[in-house]
Amino acid sequence: MNIHEYQAKKLLSQFKTNVPQGRVAYTPLEAQKNALFLSEKGPWVLKAQIQAGARAKGYFPDQDDQNLSGIMFVKNRKDLITVSQKMLGHTLVTPQTGPKGKLVSKIYIETFSPTKQLFYLSFVINRIEACITLLVANETDNILDLAQKESESILKINLDLNERIKKSDIMRILSFLNLPEKLFDELKTFIQNLYKAFICLDATMLEINPVGITKDNRFIALDTKISFDDNALFRHKDVVFMHDDYEVGENVLKASKCGFKYREFEDGNIGLIVNGDGLALAVHDYLKQMNQKTACYLNIKGGVDEDKIAQSLKIMMTNPKVEGIIINILGGFLRCDLVADGIISAVSEIGLNIPLVARFEGTNKDAAKEILEKHHFNFLTADSLQEAAVKLTRAMKEND
Amino acid sequence: MSILVDKNTRVLVQGITGLQASFHTKRIIAMGTNVVAGVSTHSAGSTHLGVPIFGSVKEAVLKTKANASLLFVPAKNVKSAINEALEAGIKLIVSIAYGVPILDVLEIQKTVKEHQAVLIGPNTPGIITPGEACLGVFPQNIHQKGNIGIISRSSTLTYEAVLETNRAGLGQSTVIGIGDDMIAGCHFDKVLELFHQDDQTKAVILIGALGGAYEEKAAAYYQTIKNKKPLIAYITGFENFTDDMGYASDILTHGKVTVEDKKQLFREAGAIVVESIDDLHDVLQDIK
Repeated sequence: MNIHEYQAKKLLSQFKTNVPQGRVAYTPLEAQKNALFLSEKGPWVLKAQIQAGARAKGYFPDQDDQNLSGIMFVKNRKDLITVSQKMLGHTLVTPQTGPKGKLVSKIYIETFSPTKQLFYLSFVINRIEACITLLVANETDNILDLAQKESESILKINLDLNERIKKSDIMRILSFLNLPEKLFDELKTFIQNLYKAFICLDATMLEINPVGITKDNRFIALDTKISFDDNALFRHKDVVFMHDDYEVGENVLKASKCGFKYREFEDGNIGLIVNGDGLALAVHDYLKQMNQKTACYLNIKGGVDEDKIAQSLKIMMTNPKVEGIIINILGGFLRCDLVADGIISAVSEIGLNIPLVARFEGTNKDAAKEILEKHHFNFLTADSLQEAAVKLTRAMKEND
Repeated sequence: MSILVDKNTRVLVQGITGLQASFHTKRIIAMGTNVVAGVSTHSAGSTHLGVPIFGSVKEAVLKTKANASLLFVPAKNVKSAINEALEAGIKLIVSIAYGVPILDVLEIQKTVKEHQAVLIGPNTPGIITPGEACLGVFPQNIHQKGNIGIISRSSTLTYEAVLETNRAGLGQSTVIGIGDDMIAGCHFDKVLELFHQDDQTKAVILIGALGGAYEEKAAAYYQTIKNKKPLIAYITGFENFTDDMGYASDILTHGKVTVEDKKQLFREAGAIVVESIDDLHDVLQDIK
């Protein structure tokens, strides 16, 4: 689970991390009021609250203003309203949002913090070495490019679980950042508090980009991103409340209410319904070989009933990109005939104007096949992935 | 022969009295597994499904000489259950739990290593040596004794691979799902090594995925083996999700790793790489 910047900063300040003073606003008037509350004089920073990075490189397609991005510096009080008007209620496209962009429904207003140096810092779960790794870089832009081209310019320190950060590690970071030793205590406290937050909050990623060093030698988190471990959310009821339903998209939300997992791809026109990610992957790969692309997939997992299967088909059909559906079910605990009944119940209710191929394997697969084939509706069935993919693409061509 | 488990494995089931645990324990007993004990604090002293129940793993090990543990405990209790098994001296642990918090897994990994034990999971369908022992939740009646070793990160694709080896008339020596958690207890390279030491295994199917570097390690290990058994690798994974946010972890791998990158490593190491799971069919015919 991800949260917004303003929420992340609030959490971090509870762990005694320095963050700029800030307030959220939902309307331009509120933005002005909150900005003046924070400081009588500018500059202020207006930051679009969307859960995607590279906001400063973003643009608003429906606005003519060339200088407008997701992060705006406002010097004059009179510009507060006009700038926030251009951001609020408009779609922001950044290199990380995809071409569709994200609607800005709130902005975060901060007082501007002058700094003399900036750097990159993050904590991540290191899947390769099974530990938590601290990453530090002098650059704050295009970190991924940097990792690809000059990986030695990123300092990596593997941390001990539940233990304090070592003195020697702090010394390494100081020298890596060319900072004087007198900043040792400040830096140690800053990093130690963040690491504590990472562990206490069950984060999987905590990124401060950039960290600023102020003129009076304090470290301050100017931007913050936190991702949480979904499996540990039961320990963090307060974090669960921060979930923003608007960020995840309607279908993902509808699917999650049924206990399903739904994901969309950048392009493609085929929808997959499966009961295990592996089954979706198998079809996905097969389609790729045939130069076809997956638009989305929905994993119904185990333990479902007929109604829920019907619901899955309904969710899938509300994606306008989907022009054909493959259902790939491996029956074990879940009976294939139950899935077939669910398909029929959904189609009887809302109809079906695109081709659908079902492939069943495992428990009661023959019964399931028979249910679909006997039905007056034009369902297609297949015994292998290949057959399913071939039948679907052929039917989609005929349907055109 | 087979790897890690066989008919002599003395299996202990932690959390045996739960609904799911009962269902699956009954199944694995029917599949020939030597289940010698169950652990449940509430029903100690009784028997369940014909298996004696003990109050602690330590007691169960003492009385029954159990040497492997199958865990059916909720995700949030997995850490303490594994610690209990390790302290009682169990060296092979299989955990079926879905959704164990990642920080718990990191801690578990550390203790498992310290005890020089093997953990399969925490989120896995388990391990099966057909006809001898099943510590897991594999579907019944699909496995056949044979000589193909299977290791996989995806449970559903494991079944597809099993069906293909059956169709080819080759069967399986041992099948292991290492699970697709962010951090898995048991890694491909370790299992690959065991399969190479096993006489029964003629060839290995490896089903890998994106994320982590288990495939990279396995490919590097395979390259070093002198007398290679055929390795058939199928690597899969979704690329280009619209809501991909996890770029900080890409820094650790010096950029985004693609399915093709992983496949290439296996090709270079001398493995046979298939493009789709259906292609296993033809490759297995050649191995026969």
